Amino acid sequence: MSSSGTQTDTTPGFGTAAFESFLETRDEPDWITAQRRAAFACYQDSQQAELDPEEWKRVDLRRFQPEQYELCDPPADTTPQNLKAQLTHRTEFAGHVSHLDGHCVGQSLSDNLRRQGVLFGNLGCLLQEHAEVLRPHLLTRAVQPDKDRFASWHAAFWTSGTVLYVPREVEIREPLHSVIALAGNGATDLGHTLVILEEGSQATLLEETLSADPQTAGLHVGAVELLIGRGAHLRYVQLQNWNQQVFHFAHQAGCVAQNGQLQWTVAGLGAKLAHVHQDVTLEGPGARAEVNGVSFATERQLISFYTQQTHQAPETESDLLYKEVLRNRARVAWRGMIRVDPEAQRISGFQRNDALLLDSECRADAIPGLEIEADDVRCSHAATAGRVDEEQLFYCMSRGIHRREAMHMIVEGFFHDVYDRIPVEAVREALSTAVERKLGILN
Amino acid sequence: MSEFERVASAGELQSGQRKSVVVDDTPVLLIRTGDDFHAIEDICTHDGQPLADGPLDGNRITCPRHGAQFDIETGRAVCMPATEAVTTFEVQVVDDDVLVRPRG
Repeated sequence: MSSSGTQTDTTPGFGTAAFESFLETRDEPDWITAQRRAAFACYQDSQQAELDPEEWKRVDLRRFQPEQYELCDPPADTTPQNLKAQLTHRTEFAGHVSHLDGHCVGQSLSDNLRRQGVLFGNLGCLLQEHAEVLRPHLLTRAVQPDKDRFASWHAAFWTSGTVLYVPREVEIREPLHSVIALAGNGATDLGHTLVILEEGSQATLLEETLSADPQTAGLHVGAVELLIGRGAHLRYVQLQNWNQQVFHFAHQAGCVAQNGQLQWTVAGLGAKLAHVHQDVTLEGPGARAEVNGVSFATERQLISFYTQQTHQAPETESDLLYKEVLRNRARVAWRGMIRVDPEAQRISGFQRNDALLLDSECRADAIPGLEIEADDVRCSHAATAGRVDEEQLFYCMSRGIHRREAMHMIVEGFFHDVYDRIPVEAVREALSTAVERKLGILN
Repeated sequence: MSEFERVASAGELQSGQRKSVVVDDTPVLLIRTGDDFHAIEDICTHDGQPLADGPLDGNRITCPRHGAQFDIETGRAVCMPATEAVTTFEVQVVDDDVLVRPRG
């Protein structure tokens, strides 16, 4: 497969001249500029390098024309009328951050949390004000800029982003909300999410991506870093809900220290082509991660996930459940790996992927894998794919239920066990609404 | 009905040569055999990956990974492991321009 497409000379929007002018627009300390320059050198070197075929061979990049995208100026209208976040009115939030076309356009945090030392807001500003806290974690521990061309592209050009820092033993009960939106045609978002939970703290961050207009093309090259300290507990949700003209590439990584807990939900609903590289690393004994994936692909969408659960310490636990529904000519690819280091004895690792195909022309690829170097572990995986049972539909219709409503019930039932694992009701409701929209029940 | 898109000049390809193009947001393989041009979706229906480098024998293209074969004129799958036809596109040659569009 030709997985090239981001050659330097064909991406004027992200070439050397564009990089230098981008740096001039950033009033940043030297250490950030140096980090960007190192990443840009990697980005240039990576143009000719082949992407890892294990990860990318099912992601057809021939439709992706990177030269169509460039960084945008700050938007004149920071609150477009038709920008409707799915989660905004469903629950109370302790703080909000909004980004539009790669620029932070709003932020707030309750005074109570501010007094407790919680940091929440725009990455660019907080990095300058609290460098001593944030610098050790930015693109060093979780996402590596030299991982591949998308990681280095992001690390060189990251624009805005959301930071959540929770000090030791602080528990945030209400969720925090981050919105990443695209409005301009051909606009690019290189947003970065950095979450740091110190020892014994707790927080919930709900993040969603969306487009102002269903027809505007866009690009997201993002990164998410979740750093969970000893005994800390993070619930993180990313609801990817771009329109179907956006290309979405993301490196997302979570590192969980001793006795820490991560509940991570990824929803893939929008985008023309989405590829998410998701790493969960259990670094200390007793660390636990639960990873949930919900995806509904329609028309000609391609949604791809590459997940890794890495057990580095004994007595750690990871549990991954991905559920996908496909219609029309959509494709979903999931490649999952559980890695167990030699010293990670007595761990438990599980991964499961289920796909429900509503049409004969859609396609789901599920490739689970295990790499185990310890000898006292419990690891297993499972994958299923199948069509809706016509007898189930017939049974519903014989009870007077319209075929479309019967299909809706079956799809909701299919997603039910992953919904049960999502800890925030607002997210379950938003997903349920999105499912109705994808089935054509809602406009 | 989609509009025709110009994807090549007729003189650009000799018989047996091919060109990878994108038509209607779909990767397409344009192949010349003699004076005829054929266009098929550049995705093997067996494994979902490109046919682009597959060997061509007459009107048969072979998937380079698992050996599935397709008739480039009709799209029909003619050898396992593929069982479903590959999508074909309508081709017109006007003067020196090769035009392609999805079939109605």
